[in-house]
Amino acid sequence: MKSRPLSLLIITLIGLLNLWATPAQAAKIRVVTTLTDLADFTRAVGGDLVEVRSLATGVEDTHGIPMKPSFVPIMNQADLLVLVGFDCEHAFLPALLEASKNPRIQKGTSGYVDCSRGIVPRDVPKSTEHSAGDVHPYGNPHYMLDPVLAKTAIKNIYNALVAFAPEHQAEFTRNRDAYLAKLDARIAEWERQARPLKGVKFVSYHEHWPYFAERFAMDYFGTIELKPGIDPTARHIEELVASMRAEHVPIVVREPQFPEKVPSQIAKQTGATLITLPIMPGGVPNTETYIKMMDYIIQTMVTAAQGRK
Amino acid sequence: MHLLLVFITHARKLSSYRRIKMIVRSILYIILVAVFASPSFAADLESRLNSLEETLKKQEQTIQELKALQNTLKTQEQTISEQRKLIEELKAEVRKSQPSVTLSAPEAKEPETSDQIQQQVKELSDKVDEVVEAQKKEIPSVFNPSIGLVGETVFSYRSKGSAQTGSDRPGGFDAFQRSVELNLAASVDPFAKGYAVINASADPGTGESTANVEEAAVQTTSLPWNLELKAGRFFGEFGRLSYIHDHELPFVNRPLALNQYIGGESRTDGAQLNYLLPISHYVSLTVGAGNQFGGDIPPNNVGDFRQGSGLNYWGRASTYFDLTPDISLEPGISGLWNPKTTDLGGGLLQPDGSTFTERERRLLGTDFVLSYRPLRNNQFQTVTWGTEVLYSDNRYDVTLPDGTLSKRAVGSYGLYSYLAYKFHRQWTTGLLFDWVENALNKSDKTTAYSPYITWALSHWSQLRLQYTYTDHNSVSGLLPDHAVYLQWAWIIGSHSHGWQQR
Repeated sequence: MKSRPLSLLIITLIGLLNLWATPAQAAKIRVVTTLTDLADFTRAVGGDLVEVRSLATGVEDTHGIPMKPSFVPIMNQADLLVLVGFDCEHAFLPALLEASKNPRIQKGTSGYVDCSRGIVPRDVPKSTEHSAGDVHPYGNPHYMLDPVLAKTAIKNIYNALVAFAPEHQAEFTRNRDAYLAKLDARIAEWERQARPLKGVKFVSYHEHWPYFAERFAMDYFGTIELKPGIDPTARHIEELVASMRAEHVPIVVREPQFPEKVPSQIAKQTGATLITLPIMPGGVPNTETYIKMMDYIIQTMVTAAQGRK
Repeated sequence: MHLLLVFITHARKLSSYRRIKMIVRSILYIILVAVFASPSFAADLESRLNSLEETLKKQEQTIQELKALQNTLKTQEQTISEQRKLIEELKAEVRKSQPSVTLSAPEAKEPETSDQIQQQVKELSDKVDEVVEAQKKEIPSVFNPSIGLVGETVFSYRSKGSAQTGSDRPGGFDAFQRSVELNLAASVDPFAKGYAVINASADPGTGESTANVEEAAVQTTSLPWNLELKAGRFFGEFGRLSYIHDHELPFVNRPLALNQYIGGESRTDGAQLNYLLPISHYVSLTVGAGNQFGGDIPPNNVGDFRQGSGLNYWGRASTYFDLTPDISLEPGISGLWNPKTTDLGGGLLQPDGSTFTERERRLLGTDFVLSYRPLRNNQFQTVTWGTEVLYSDNRYDVTLPDGTLSKRAVGSYGLYSYLAYKFHRQWTTGLLFDWVENALNKSDKTTAYSPYITWALSHWSQLRLQYTYTDHNSVSGLLPDHAVYLQWAWIIGSHSHGWQQR
């Protein structure tokens, strides 16, 4: 019987603490994004009405954001969770979602904003056998590196914001249209700048670039990784070098979160140019926004391709 | 007439060409004045002005209509432009969905006839029908949960026999299938998820495998107020590694202090409530109650009637600090209390002939993990320092060799500390230090040192080589020994990166 008042006291304290911690009316829509490009888009569409936090800072691997407990309160308080989808975040997001104890952003709710909705995926595996590596069962998730497909992500973010706060639809629409106009202008410019890239072969460390290669008519020759998530073996490197020499592949792309040693060695052996390209804003200096990042990628790629001619 | 006279008068005075010119000009003036001065002309002019005004109005109207038409054209042009853009995007999508192999110009197909198109449409329609039919098939496994199977084999060599090391495995060469673990997990309903871990490891004596339910629990997913309730058989949250399965430990064997004070994995049959403080800083609080705590410890008070004091109660508080973006500290404290441990495994005979019977279990622990995990290449390089210190303050009924009964409280300490350095995506090396006092006799101390190296071939398979030197003191009666372990752990099927294994 003694324990009953104690239990009641604890329950009352928990209730009061939660009431105290829950703002009566949130001033801004609290959005948490997994990656920095999504944060950039959300800020562009949401403007002053949103408070955006990204789990990634930009320098991480998209599949390897550390599961920091400091993310848990951020996710616990969030109104919306914006993610890439196609299982891109499988290594860290499910556990963080469970730890967040936030029913508003769980999978299947309107607060779970999967930006892959409406994207036709590439490279959907016929089998999810692990013998094929750490494959993504729904297809390659790196569509954000195609700026035209990135517009679909923006549309999904816009829809989610409007659904959450329909009273601000006019402002969201204005912001979205302004950003899309800016992005469209840049896309036209990138397509013009990227004309020398047509048909140029390149390899990268991880399978980040199929959508990019498709958009800018490049020839994505292969990856340094043996298979997704599997480090290269000596034999794989040997075969890759031989085929690159035979096919005169001029560019080796290294994503900054991967070590430089092997890409550098391959570039040296094949005579290819080694370049380091970010896979999300903030991956390398002066790429804080999506547009700046794409500017950097196109310019670096074009410079490398032209340097080889 | 008057005008004519004026003309004649002037004509006489002017005789030259200049004069004639002037005359002509004057005539014109006269005619104009006459015409405009006449009433008929005035009436005609008014009607003409009206007509002109009407024409102007019509022209204005036409201009307005033209302007409207121009706007319509502009709108239509914009629509066409947007549609063209959409067509281009759709074309791009179609191009993407097509195979990458493209036909060169000479190989390009001739335009298809309407018959061919109809045939293709029919074939496509048949395929769609097939897919629709396939959806109607009964798939008995469609509601199956996620399933994963873990296998773990430990090959070892120990320099001393089990009688001299106290191990339940034989000395010398040994191969031990420690884990054959079936993991099942799925949502129960919108409010809870369920999971089970069934292990069938080999018995060290008989070699027979016996299926053992390590965990089978339900866990809520939508309780209010940041609460989460777990009930069933599960690993209770105490310390840092007690609720981690053997094959997920950062080294081959469970630390001696956890084996000594927890009893292996922190298995319990009971319920546990977790609360995440609703503040911007991570603070997690957990409390639980169960009739057992520790995989190697049987349930207590299994007799006729169990009072509340016969249950185990535990709690844990943990928090986290980002010291820098790359360095973090995660400290925690834990406590376990079993007020009345009646019938807990009976008395334990000591080397001096006395018998200890545990009557009350008290355990406190504090732990921390300090990590260096550079954001950029955290999959390739990390340094982790983890330490847990335990203090056991158990109460015993002691029967001395001469039959004298007494009560005794034994306060003893134990700790483990490990440093792990991941220097490659596949390679991690580390050192584990163990030190523990016997919970019955704190003079009985054991120290062990275990350097190890782990090779993770992939996410689903890893090999670990570990050397362990165990040093018992003279009180234990056990002998120091050297051991080498080679562990191979693998997983097939579904696997998840759990929060506790982060």
